[in-house]
Amino acid sequence: MEEKGKSSEESVKWYSYVALIFAIVFFSGIFATSKEWWSVFDFTVLNGTFGTLSVVGAKAMTFRGAGGSGGRDGFLFALSLLPAVILALGVVSVVEGLGGLKAAQKLMTPLLKPLLGIPGICGLGMIASFQSTDAGAGMAKELYQENMITDDEKTVFCMFQISADGTITNYFSSGVALFSILLTPIIVPFIVMMIFKIFGANLLRIYIKYVNKKEQQAIKSGE
Amino acid sequence: MTTTETQNVKAHASKPNVLDMFVAGARRGFTIGTTNMLPNVIMAFVIIKALNVTGLLKLFGVIFQPVMGLWGLPGEAVTVLVSAFLSMGGGVGAAAGLFTSGILGRSDITILMPAIYLIGSLVQYLGRCLGTAEVNTRYYVPIIVICIINALLAMWVMKVLVAFF
Repeated sequence: MEEKGKSSEESVKWYSYVALIFAIVFFSGIFATSKEWWSVFDFTVLNGTFGTLSVVGAKAMTFRGAGGSGGRDGFLFALSLLPAVILALGVVSVVEGLGGLKAAQKLMTPLLKPLLGIPGICGLGMIASFQSTDAGAGMAKELYQENMITDDEKTVFCMFQISADGTITNYFSSGVALFSILLTPIIVPFIVMMIFKIFGANLLRIYIKYVNKKEQQAIKSGE
Repeated sequence: MTTTETQNVKAHASKPNVLDMFVAGARRGFTIGTTNMLPNVIMAFVIIKALNVTGLLKLFGVIFQPVMGLWGLPGEAVTVLVSAFLSMGGGVGAAAGLFTSGILGRSDITILMPAIYLIGSLVQYLGRCLGTAEVNTRYYVPIIVICIINALLAMWVMKVLVAFF
């Protein structure tokens, strides 16, 4: 356990925190409407716009056109989203590569016990679950097999993971489809999801406590 | 730490430079976009089209109006939540399809956004998350219920938040 703590501390450099802050600013949309040079630090600004097609006397529109429906319209719509997905996951990869997620893990680890009632050692699995459903679940199982967490803690940890699983990967790939429609900055629904992941895990924590208590009472009355 | 994990960490540490990192991620984005997002969006658009052609969408709208009205949403919004339950991409696609056909507005989409993910792909994730981690099956139902509670409450929170923007 100690060894793990050390190795993750070593790999968090100063630029890891810079990368993490950059990611939050970049996807938050706070510079989206800025006309100054620092609007370069914004996802929507860098994603840019499609050129427009115009016919004399008609409204200018993108290659998707207007009035389409069904599979064909769905295809062009999905095609129009591809650049955003590519850019978003490219940036996520840079942030991850510079240790930004490790920095987030380091900041989150001491919070796991008070927030979720699970040991700080779950930090790595938690960050992994933001990127990949399978990786997060696999790590939860491993921690249990190595006796680092109890069965109940594993269940609470999986509850945290499963609601909005693969959060970063999913939100910044499929979610991109709705980014331009959202009325709030794109980080707002993301924060709401995080809060409810924690909320849901605590609901299950209470439920497990209740079930365990009832079982113990049943055993006692059985005696 | 297991050997595979150590290897992963080492592989991260020796990643060459920022541009390579970007391109690797971008490639993953292209793969996810074309093999996951695009088929899901087409599926959702086709479902919306089919519901539209058969008149079922209007019917859903009427039937679910009282329920979805609790969040100030039109009844048709229920198709977004049901598709999301099957797959996140499908939920997003359904939302985009309903937005394109003018049934959902911008504030409706904003309200639905976190809910799509909070109950997203649960059908798959029962296997991929709970199954992989070998969670006791007696907790499956409570976990699904809590995911639904999460989504419904998040819609109210977003409804309040939308008012500030």
